[in-house]
Amino acid sequence: MQRPSYGQSPPLHHPVPQHVSTVPQLRSPPPPTSQPHSQGYDGSPYQQQQPRVASGGGNMFGQYGNMINDPAAQLASQFGQTAFKQGQEYLEQNVSRFISVSSLKHYFNVTNFYVINKLYLVLFPWRHKPWSRKQAVGPNGQEGWYLPPRDDINSPDMYIPVMSFVTYIFLQTLIAGLRGNFQPELFGYIATTALVVVIVEILGLKLGCYLLSISNESQLLDLVAYSGYKFVGVIVTISVAEIANAGKGTGGWIGWTVFFYTFLANSLFLMRSLKYVLLPENNSDNRAPMQTMQTESRAKRNQRTQFLFFYSYVVQLFFMWILSRP
Amino acid sequence: MYIVGNLIYISCLLINAIAILSEDRFLARIKLSPTSHDPSFGQSADTSVRYKIITLISSVRTVMRVPLIVINILIILYELVLG
Repeated sequence: MQRPSYGQSPPLHHPVPQHVSTVPQLRSPPPPTSQPHSQGYDGSPYQQQQPRVASGGGNMFGQYGNMINDPAAQLASQFGQTAFKQGQEYLEQNVSRFISVSSLKHYFNVTNFYVINKLYLVLFPWRHKPWSRKQAVGPNGQEGWYLPPRDDINSPDMYIPVMSFVTYIFLQTLIAGLRGNFQPELFGYIATTALVVVIVEILGLKLGCYLLSISNESQLLDLVAYSGYKFVGVIVTISVAEIANAGKGTGGWIGWTVFFYTFLANSLFLMRSLKYVLLPENNSDNRAPMQTMQTESRAKRNQRTQFLFFYSYVVQLFFMWILSRP
Repeated sequence: MYIVGNLIYISCLLINAIAILSEDRFLARIKLSPTSHDPSFGQSADTSVRYKIITLISSVRTVMRVPLIVINILIILYELVLG
């Protein structure tokens, strides 16, 4: 959205559009005989009063200049606009039944500061101290929902996993191209592989939670987000191995060293973060028979800790190895 | 595509295996059937791992008996027709 700054422009008072529509604005640009006021054009924020703007801004609308005078074409364009708006409403109504868009928005509510620090955390989690997620306090002092990633470094987001997933696909195809084996089906093949890895991992986690009676209060998207953080480590591994090995994949010392380092970092990150998701706290156990409850819950807690350890290390090793194969 | 097709085959075969096992001859022998589970004391019956596995196996068997017939027929036809 470039606003060309022409020297003396009187202050414009046109309302700023709240919704950026991709339909080209069909209000006619001011003709070269400039009119004294431009406040009627609420649909064309780029138009200013100066005569030479018509040529500068007119190259965008110049092709429409002849069309506007034709009422049939104008009717057709209005029809197209209303059809587009109706299609959008229909889409919103139906998609919102399957995917709750507002809860997705919570995961994409990130800042630059958060992204950089989170990437640093994924690759170097050893010095970070408090791993618990912050909760917003409601008006009565009761605990409400979790803070969005904007305010809380420990909160999982979907921006980094989605971006690293796409970057992983592009990187794999780029490397395959550098090696000479590029085919257009490779995109779909790699995307399917990565998606299958994520889905199988989440299914295994859900199965483990069911078998161990872990009541999972966090949402499914949280687990998907945690599962998507491994793509960051895989990207680092692949790129470093590619630079160092000049086309041989993750062979050799450097490749495997970086792979194990990122694997360990990712596993520690997962263990610390999932501790609050999978392992229940001590206070939530019911207190009726204290003795048997305590011994039993200690055994169960050991089971759960073992499961968490198994999931964070062994399962992640397997999947990261799958993802970093050439 | 090769991976997705193979995964479908693997999962179908595994669920077939779970559905086929004989209840009284095999599952009772290795104590994974609902009949051979006696609750030891109180609360540990409902939430132990073994009880969960028993419940999972029996529920998969009862739910997937009929759809498995359909899926198996589809896969057999696919393999016959399209090689």
